[in-house]
Amino acid sequence: MIDFFNANQVLVQATLSGLVLALSIQVPLRMGVFSFAGAGSYGLGGYAAALLVIHLNLNALEAIGLTIVITAFVGLLLGLVISRLNGLYLAMATVAFDLIISVVAINGGTFTGESTGLYGVIVDFTTTTMFIMTVVAVLLVALSERGRTGRRTQAVRDDQQLAASAGVNVRRYRLMAFVVGGALGGLGGAMNVMVRTTIGPLDIGFGLVVLALTMIIVGGTMSWKGAVLGAIIFTWLPHFLDFIGQWQTLVYGVIVALAAIFLPRGIHGVIVDIIRWVQRRRRGTLDKPAPDPSGDPEPEQLLPPSGTSSISPSAPQQPIRGSVARSLLARGAKS
Amino acid sequence: MTVSQEQAAAQPAPAVTPVLELRDVAVHFGGVKAVDGISLRLEPGLVYGIIGPNGSGKTTLIGAITRLTRLTRGELLFDGNSYLDRRASTLARLGVARTFQTVRLLPDLDVVQNIELGFDGRVQDGEKSNRGSWWRTNLGLGTPPEVAQAIARTGLEGFERFYPSELSYGTQRRVEIARAIAMNPRLLLLDEPTAGMNQAERAEISALIKDLRADGLCQLLVEHDVQMMIDTCDYVFAMNTGRLIAEGEPREVVQNPLVQEAYLGRKWREHAADH
Amino acid sequence: MQELVSVISLGSIYLLFSLGMSLTWGTIDVLNFAHGSIFMFATFCAYLILGKTSLPFLAVVGIGVVVGAVLSLLVQVAAFEPILKRARNKRSAEMQILIGGIGIATIPLAIAQVQTKSNPFGLAASTFHVTVWHLGSARITNVAVFTIVVGLAIWGAISVWLRRSRQGLALRSIGVDSETASLMGINRRRLALGTMAVSGALAGLAGVMFTYTTSAITPESGDTLLIKAFAIIILGGVGSMAGVAFGAFALALVETLVLTYTSGSWVDAVAFGLIFLVLLARPAGVFGRKEVRRA
Repeated sequence: MIDFFNANQVLVQATLSGLVLALSIQVPLRMGVFSFAGAGSYGLGGYAAALLVIHLNLNALEAIGLTIVITAFVGLLLGLVISRLNGLYLAMATVAFDLIISVVAINGGTFTGESTGLYGVIVDFTTTTMFIMTVVAVLLVALSERGRTGRRTQAVRDDQQLAASAGVNVRRYRLMAFVVGGALGGLGGAMNVMVRTTIGPLDIGFGLVVLALTMIIVGGTMSWKGAVLGAIIFTWLPHFLDFIGQWQTLVYGVIVALAAIFLPRGIHGVIVDIIRWVQRRRRGTLDKPAPDPSGDPEPEQLLPPSGTSSISPSAPQQPIRGSVARSLLARGAKS
Repeated sequence: MTVSQEQAAAQPAPAVTPVLELRDVAVHFGGVKAVDGISLRLEPGLVYGIIGPNGSGKTTLIGAITRLTRLTRGELLFDGNSYLDRRASTLARLGVARTFQTVRLLPDLDVVQNIELGFDGRVQDGEKSNRGSWWRTNLGLGTPPEVAQAIARTGLEGFERFYPSELSYGTQRRVEIARAIAMNPRLLLLDEPTAGMNQAERAEISALIKDLRADGLCQLLVEHDVQMMIDTCDYVFAMNTGRLIAEGEPREVVQNPLVQEAYLGRKWREHAADH
Repeated sequence: MQELVSVISLGSIYLLFSLGMSLTWGTIDVLNFAHGSIFMFATFCAYLILGKTSLPFLAVVGIGVVVGAVLSLLVQVAAFEPILKRARNKRSAEMQILIGGIGIATIPLAIAQVQTKSNPFGLAASTFHVTVWHLGSARITNVAVFTIVVGLAIWGAISVWLRRSRQGLALRSIGVDSETASLMGINRRRLALGTMAVSGALAGLAGVMFTYTTSAITPESGDTLLIKAFAIIILGGVGSMAGVAFGAFALALVETLVLTYTSGSWVDAVAFGLIFLVLLARPAGVFGRKEVRRA
């Protein structure tokens, strides 16, 4: 096993930094915050770490630590400006942020190395250290998916009004999404530049967003496990399918598109659905029958068909359940 | 004087600080006056009801009380202190819990977790939460006793691991109520809690409300069902077009000609005739 | 004076491109991330065809328009409609459309990149010749005249149509409240398809005019333009026709100024910075009416 890792060090490293990059976008997405700023933070983190090493001679730990503080802070600033925006606006604003980082990198004169970038980032940083740091990051993310924080982030994602009435400070949670996304992105970028010793404009920018999205959407959008799955698949896939070669971007694009249409919660999401389905079968079905004469015990999830209004127009997220619609009709028939 | 001013003047000065007080609360959306100058007081330990035809502004009023909707004017007081400057998310700490007109459960969490969401926002009762339970709650290990209690009170034992999509509408409603109870509230707002339920379920909810009342919880119910109102509430406010048109004991209010006129329904006249 | 001509010409191209995006975004709530790729790929197809035969100017324009419309329709039918049908709620649908669009956008990009090896390509092989006129001290090409006239004309036509015609009203009502709209018998699907087709046609037209104006286009041009269109729409206000025009010309103006007075590489950053400026100062945009904030 160890030999395998040694022989494929570069791929392992790429998997680890890819995983952290994917998490930097997945964590906000899981919270309902459409932020792609993680990619920009990754670029910012890479350049920041490189500059810290080159100009201030910091060691790996110091450089990474400081970088994370920087990118988290930038994330916070970004969040303060845009976190109140709704989905699409937010997404595009974060894309603009990512592109600004690229533009600054290219136009930064000798400080950022312009189109060639920076090189000679020599520092003591082993793959093992990288692995440990990644595991710590993943652990923290995993913790945030459980218990109180996990429930509240779900509430923030699915139903902000409900979250507020349950005492969740929605604005603070959304801001945290930006901070955490920034920190994770910075960590990924910093670690990456330290194992590769160079960074250039071609390594950052919108391509990272596509890569991260591919990992998340196929692996699983709802959990860190999905990010791990996606990172492994899409780092090692080109290795095994090198006949794809120059068509890699295209193949990834097609995969993202197909996944967005057919498998929006990713492989992990499918697994979760299967597990739940098995649990339901084992438990047996339910519950007292619904209060309507047709007695169908298993209400399906429906999108309100066009023409049916929901009970209250202010309810944003809940689709009408089958039994609700039927009981509404039943009530109407009675009175 | 307006009806509400008359009645406010007629009420004796409260001996206890009301849990909730509204003074001339109005909510205007552009030209629409959804709530138009409402004043009321809720005293601890009683069950209050709000009745009114659709569009009378009941749900808007609840939204105004819970700070999800902005006031055009008026004063909101909880325990005698104004909370006009507070955000919706801080009300949970004050002790205000609510259910929604349409059931709002998180689809990816099971029943226990949905209820725990309420517990998460719970009032601390003035003491620091001990370390042990912090770890338990945040690592998702074990169910806090308060949540188990809420489950027991709403009769949801056995449903813990079910997901909302698998439950009947009535059961989902009960989960919502359990979630609100788990918040350890001092004021419980129930927005049409029995909508879509059959008679048996309605009776259960009514019993639950009375049970909570016995614990001293102040509750405000928005309801359509007249019988439910009469059975469960101590005091009723009748609304129409954003104003209070009557208030008092349920039977009195129901017989009030203004109220009957607002509804223009046989249902109301029947009840008035029978009682 | 010369600058003014180029500003108006550039602005018209931006206008055509952003118009398409603003239409779909402001009415059927679709933010088509593949819009930029369509812009580029329509021109790419024209380029390929010109490699086989020589065609007059209007034919090339026609190809761009048709290819753009077809591609846009394809995206709507093959991707966005299935997503909308399967999505659990509006928020996931939005996200999936966004992500799906990002994925789809890479397809034309990759094809063009492989074919041209990321080199710029142009439409020089048509039978069309650029003629130059002089207006005072400025040179105006017939390309510029065509762009400006057509751009403004189409913008005007669509503005009037949206405001006056029945379908226009229908389209606007979908944007305001789509459920009520369909309750009133408006065929959402047909209008959505029509809007996407027009949007794609505009993108294709913009692409062809862009290539004629700047004499070359790269496979990556579409994506940069996408963000600029976003900046334009945000500046002008989503759903506002006056806003889109204002934003297009304002951006063209600022970019040209930046280009003239500083080195060229910061030009693209103008749009990015503009986005943040607007979102900070006035998120609804100059002419905007739609609610942008959620919390």
